[in-house]
Amino acid sequence: MILKNNLKKVRQNKGLTQEELGANVGVSRQTIISIERYRYKPTLELAMKLAEKLNIKIEKLFYFEQE
Amino acid sequence: MLLSKKEISILIEIVYSIVFALIFLPYFYENQEKNLILMDGLVEKIIQIIICTVIYFAIAYSVLEVAFKKKETRDERDDMINSKSYKLGYLLYEFSLFIFIGYVCSKFQNKELLNLTGNIELYSSFQLTDAGIIFIVLVLLAFISVIKSIYQFYLYRTV
Repeated sequence: MILKNNLKKVRQNKGLTQEELGANVGVSRQTIISIERYRYKPTLELAMKLAEKLNIKIEKLFYFEQE
Repeated sequence: MLLSKKEISILIEIVYSIVFALIFLPYFYENQEKNLILMDGLVEKIIQIIICTVIYFAIAYSVLEVAFKKKETRDERDDMINSKSYKLGYLLYEFSLFIFIGYVCSKFQNKELLNLTGNIELYSSFQLTDAGIIFIVLVLLAFISVIKSIYQFYLYRTV
């Protein structure tokens, strides 16, 4: 199973840039890029912060996909 | 290829390690047969190294700060990349220390064997001076530092 996310889609729907979202949750723009490209798996703390800032349930933002 | 501030600071470290190795290591290599007390201009060389290091990093980081005025956030991804690269550096350091101890032991053992044969010339060529030990340690440190920084740079580009 691969951990995937809807971060890019949800962020764009909210009209936020990667930089703005990063600043809101206290991470760099590069970290947001890495998460959106599935290169980096965020910690639970960051995942919850992202979900809270984007006003979405964490399980809607991050999900498992069968290989 | 656009590089971030963190990536450029890693490149600054890599350049420093390589330049340090190219400029200062030959001095220790040339003097490795001698003892520290007999090395010509050792104190001057150490002062030179310290001054050059301070000037290099002061200029490099000042230019970097001017070029990237915006402060970059340090977050969990940086911590993960740093812990991975420092772990590699630590493993390499441990491994090279192990090899180095083996090298020193073998040198002493060979020296004792040669002592039995009575060949004085060969016997003296197996001398391991403190300057020789410092040279090997500096080479290892420069090598490990470069490998660690290259790996760190690679992780920043790929993670």
